[in-house]
Amino acid sequence: MTTLLTVANLTYKRNLKTILEDLNLTLEPNQIVGLLGANGAGKTTLMRLIAGAATSYHGTIRLGDQGTPAERKAIVSFSEQVAGVNDNRRLVNIADFYDHVYPDFDMANFRKLATDLGLGLDQRFNQLSRGNHQKFVVAIALSRHAKLYLLDEPFNGIDSMSRKKIVSSIIEWKPEMATILVSDHHVTDIANILDAVAVVKDHTIVDQKKADEIRENNGQSIEDYYESFYAEGETDND
Amino acid sequence: MEFDDKIPIYYQIKQYIYQEIIVNHLAPGDKLPAVRQLALTLTVNVNTIQRALSELINEGILESKRGRGNFVTTDVATLTDLKHRVVEEQLALMYDRLADLQIAPEDMVAYLTDYIAKRKEQAQA
Repeated sequence: MTTLLTVANLTYKRNLKTILEDLNLTLEPNQIVGLLGANGAGKTTLMRLIAGAATSYHGTIRLGDQGTPAERKAIVSFSEQVAGVNDNRRLVNIADFYDHVYPDFDMANFRKLATDLGLGLDQRFNQLSRGNHQKFVVAIALSRHAKLYLLDEPFNGIDSMSRKKIVSSIIEWKPEMATILVSDHHVTDIANILDAVAVVKDHTIVDQKKADEIRENNGQSIEDYYESFYAEGETDND
Repeated sequence: MEFDDKIPIYYQIKQYIYQEIIVNHLAPGDKLPAVRQLALTLTVNVNTIQRALSELINEGILESKRGRGNFVTTDVATLTDLKHRVVEEQLALMYDRLADLQIAPEDMVAYLTDYIAKRKEQAQA
């Protein structure tokens, strides 16, 4: 199978502090992959780098045959780009803005997604509940026709009904050959929909495996597998 | 549907479809829902559904008709075999558990007969 994303020997430092070190990650097309790791392990930074939102790194990031950050930005849909908007505009106006900025944004799909998620588009962004905030971020991200979607902690701090709706949207709206990388620190939310998982720890990816191989070969649940990397030592995971 | 996260999901979906066929919720010749619809109903990945379905097609339980979807086979022998196979798997589990308890085969029959009688009474009560 052709590779969608190759990250090789990626090192990223900020203010002399190492955020990511010698990180390797490979993603195939048409997958849903869980990026698992404790808070502060570097999941968001990795997504920012893949999306082209951070640029001063060492190593290789290739998406198909697109190598430069600007080229990647055009074909990666990253949820954080939405979350940064902090204003009192109505959701429909923010969506209009993305419709103008991204040629691959599909307004019709966005409206259907919002309806599926039960999001009223007349609401103002800065008055959204946590659950509706996350639904909106996911709806915006999935409304682009991208090759790679990066969803950063979409289930963080939301109720189970919102979580179920977001999970359904991911299943329903993922374009056939696209890949979704979704980060989470509580894997049971999404274990059933993952093709594979990658575990981030100590500034790098310590392992990457197919979900059914973990179950079939190790006889482990995804959660047990993930927690085995954090079993000994520090307790910075929650 | 609740899944056991220690067992491959595609395998559990196969078992679920076997059951739907055996209890005739899916009758011979019935069309299965579209792949993405099944994925949504069961809250699993589309690829997982596809893997389960392609194994069921290889086993002859389902027939894939190009452009029209997947259908339960109408081959009676295949469906009879399926039922025997699934029932036997359950019996094998029970047999092994009882054998671990050093219950002799003839005693197993006696225990099972008594147990069935008891369940019938409970059902009537």
